[in-house]
Amino acid sequence: MNIKEMLEKILKDLRAVGDVDASAIVSRDGLLIAADIPQNINAEAFAAMTAAMLGAAETATSELGKGVPDRVIVEGKEGKIIATGAGSKALLVVMTNPKANLGLVLFKIGKASDKIKEVLK
Amino acid sequence: MSIKLGIPVIDDVIDIPTGKVVTYCVDPEVEGDVFLMQTLHENSEKCKCTLVITNMSPMVARNRFKEFGWNINFPIVDAYSGLVGDLSNEKYVVKDPSNAEELSKIVEDAIKENDLVAINSLSTMIDLCGERIVEYFKSWGKLATINNSVLVVNFVAWPYDEKIINAVKACSNAIVKIGGVHHRVIIGQYYGLVKVDWTEVKKKLILFKVIKPGGVRAYIPKILVTGPYNAGKTTFIHAISNKAVSVDRLGTTVALDHGYVEYKGFTIDIFGTPGQERFDPLLKMLGGEAFGVIVVVDSTKPEDFPRAKEMLEKTTKFGLPYVIAANKQDLPNALHPEEIRKRMSLPTNTPIISMSAINGEGVYDVLDALLKILLG
Ligand SMILES: Nc1nc2c(ncn2[C@@H]2O[C@H](COP(=O)(O)OP(=O)(O)O)[C@@H](O)[C@H]2O)c(=O)[nH]1
Ligand SMILES: [Mg+2]
Repeated sequence: MNIKEMLEKILKDLRAVGDVDASAIVSRDGLLIAADIPQNINAEAFAAMTAAMLGAAETATSELGKGVPDRVIVEGKEGKIIATGAGSKALLVVMTNPKANLGLVLFKIGKASDKIKEVLK
Repeated sequence: MSIKLGIPVIDDVIDIPTGKVVTYCVDPEVEGDVFLMQTLHENSEKCKCTLVITNMSPMVARNRFKEFGWNINFPIVDAYSGLVGDLSNEKYVVKDPSNAEELSKIVEDAIKENDLVAINSLSTMIDLCGERIVEYFKSWGKLATINNSVLVVNFVAWPYDEKIINAVKACSNAIVKIGGVHHRVIIGQYYGLVKVDWTEVKKKLILFKVIKPGGVRAYIPKILVTGPYNAGKTTFIHAISNKAVSVDRLGTTVALDHGYVEYKGFTIDIFGTPGQERFDPLLKMLGGEAFGVIVVVDSTKPEDFPRAKEMLEKTTKFGLPYVIAANKQDLPNALHPEEIRKRMSLPTNTPIISMSAINGEGVYDVLDALLKILLG
């Protein structure tokens, strides 16, 4: 298995959690590394924006002297977007349906993020 | 007579004269047969072409072409159906594809009767007939020379015996290598000419993406567009992009612009940064892995040039190629590019391109200038 296939496998396993609709691994600087995303979404733009979002959140909190946030959660009527770091090079972003069991999803995201960190090391 | 391979960037560098053998040497981890298909598509209206297939049925092959929006309007050499016991009504049929003599005889007929013969794939032939097929391959190349036709083959570089691989390479006048890359966060695919025996060419590897429909596109994952507040970065990105999104609030970009550009066989992702200093942490964060930088300046605002210079230095300190876009040239008080060069004390070889992003004038000249440096 090459690295890309490993990363895609991690995302596929995440999807199996049930409440997860889509997910992507994005470099900290906004490049799409791997994705499990429906065709109709502009994945590259989504990746760039997610990196900006997490990057801006991290900068904002560190300006406050509050350290680095664990994740950014965006809640909407149509669903949630959760972005979290996955090692120093990448981040993981997940889209769930609005009724998702957040506790379970966050737990799975944490596990996936650790795996991604290992694979990209 | 000569043909084009139909592959971006390579077409700018070489024509394939008749009588040559070109091999697409594909790493097994990459799905590379689209290259051969694209070469056929490029030439199928211009000369007599045929496709030899050994690893899929004619129907599957036709569907593969359709996925890319292409038609097979040329005859097929069917060296597959015989293997699985199907009947075939193609123009050329190899009854027993594992019989090297028969296979070779029909390939020879195809070479004699066509200007371009594409083989998909030589590696399957080796698997079927054994390594002696390489000897036949050598003779097909000679036959192509005598008949003024071009032979293009797909060769998946499985871990064959070194001897076989070297023999295949030696029989090829040109080799395009197609492989996977994993460099830092760039996980993708590349291609490049690694051998051309009839002329001098610069060897350069190019990242690519495969688009359906469309085919192979050279890919630049990131070009950074930076410059002072209000210089016209967002306007420029929207002018050159097929699709673009910007996070603008109160009339200015607060996170970034993202544009998707299809141009001259390239697909390019463009990242635009905010201009104000307060966003510089984002600039640093999102500026990584850029292939090149476009600095947009407002030609009517020399007071902002020091800031432009500062942003240039922040983003290009690793020796990234860059160009300056001298924007708002439609305004009467716009400074001439040479005046801007003087005031920003830029080297004489730095391209400074006149542009009026709002009218779309010169926007592609800016992109061309950067691509020219990138492809050097
Ligand atoms: N006259 C003129 N105005 C321009 C041109 N390009 C952009 N503008 C205007 O300059 C302002 C800033 O443009 P914008 O693209 O938002 O700048 P950014 O801050 O660099 O992203 C807007 O009002 C644009 O309409 C140009 O070529 N000519
Ligand atoms: Mg802007």
